[in-house]
Amino acid sequence: MQYRQVQVIDGKGALHGIAVDGHGHGDVYAAGEAEIKVFDATGRLARRWSTSRPAWSVAVAGDGSVYAGELGQIEIFDGAGKLRDTWRDDKLLRRVTAIGFSGDSVLAGDSADRAIRRFDRGGRFLNNIGKDNPLGGLLIPNGVVDFGVDGEGIVFAANPGKHRVERYTPGGQLLGHIGRFDGNDPAGFTGCCNPTNVAIGDAIYTAEKAGPRAKVYDFGGKLLAVIATEPFDANCKNMDIAVDSRGRVYVVETVKLAIFVFERVTA
Amino acid sequence: MSENPTRRDLFATVARGTVLAVLGGGALFLVKKANGQVVWQVDASRCVNSRLGEVGVTACNLCTTECVVALSAVRAVNEYSRCGRCNICPAYFNITSAVNELGQPSEKLCPRDAIARRPIGKVDPEDPANNFYEYIIDEEKCDGCGKCVMQCKEPLGLGSITLRVRYDKCVNCNRCSISKACPQNALMQLPVSQALQPAGVLRPE
Repeated sequence: MQYRQVQVIDGKGALHGIAVDGHGHGDVYAAGEAEIKVFDATGRLARRWSTSRPAWSVAVAGDGSVYAGELGQIEIFDGAGKLRDTWRDDKLLRRVTAIGFSGDSVLAGDSADRAIRRFDRGGRFLNNIGKDNPLGGLLIPNGVVDFGVDGEGIVFAANPGKHRVERYTPGGQLLGHIGRFDGNDPAGFTGCCNPTNVAIGDAIYTAEKAGPRAKVYDFGGKLLAVIATEPFDANCKNMDIAVDSRGRVYVVETVKLAIFVFERVTA
Repeated sequence: MSENPTRRDLFATVARGTVLAVLGGGALFLVKKANGQVVWQVDASRCVNSRLGEVGVTACNLCTTECVVALSAVRAVNEYSRCGRCNICPAYFNITSAVNELGQPSEKLCPRDAIARRPIGKVDPEDPANNFYEYIIDEEKCDGCGKCVMQCKEPLGLGSITLRVRYDKCVNCNRCSISKACPQNALMQLPVSQALQPAGVLRPE
């Protein structure tokens, strides 16, 4: 399996988390310094709006609502950027570096406490994921909790300190993991802490730092392809990754402040 | 002096003031140095081993080879508040060596075996990946070669290890031989109070 770079989207400033809409429109949502930016399928900045605090992550719900993960809160906007709700919690949402949805739940990665929080759609806290399982929770020296969710609602959390992607039920039960350390074999994860970011589609997509690269694994943990290494600056870290319904892979280049888009090459 | 000074008088006054200030500053510096109040220190933001953005380059070991002190007065120091306590620390392990049966690199990085580690907190004896580790640098073994510093810095690590002049070893030369050799001008003389601060951007007095 091979991938080719098909697009580079100018991030128009700071870029942290990204998300793609689930409707196949090709819109890309990006969390900037204190704003949400929406790029259309051509890469044009279609709209942007401010968040009240620095935004670290973004997710788009099935109804089109846009969730922005921030310091101490989650802000919920409609698709046009109008604020609908704010969930504020200085203990559970100290630094929200990832947001996702599992069934009727909203999931938020709190990097300050190395845990994924699960809330109902009204913002009521339900349980933690990955906090104490099995010891010490998610090991994230890189400062970012990231995860993806499959169609069954299973949570795939990057655990870079263990060089793994771990699978959890929404209730927080650890089901297993893929991944291992290896400093030479591209099938492994190298350095102190990789993968830093993960996305779930028809496979498991990962992004690593030092040296930066994006890869794709099957659900059994077999490496399917190294999607890209060369376009990324060697100083990149915590490159958020997303995959759309067509299998296009979006990776945030944190030095050039751009989103690189890759497409599978069909034989 | 006349009540209406000419421009020449004004320039002369300013020039005298400047010369006196320079001489006074120089004298003050020499007094401070004589009293041991000015010392050499490594500016981590200039040192190529710790400076951000320098990736994929070989570690500089001029602090080891140029210092007049045996082994060198410059040693690697781990700032614990910044250390990630990683299971696989790139400053401790040679991360490109073969993986052993524990799933870890089989070789250490330090050529003098100057870094030790011990698990901290709750310990999982079955799976080392679950554990946090404290990394301790034995300064009596360290010669300041900078390899661990280069591997610890971001984005590979967290930049908790830097090279620092140890004042119990430094003989405080007037013209530090490392500073003469350092192409980055990373060695600078500072007041003691500033030189003892945690590694960061240093500014001469």
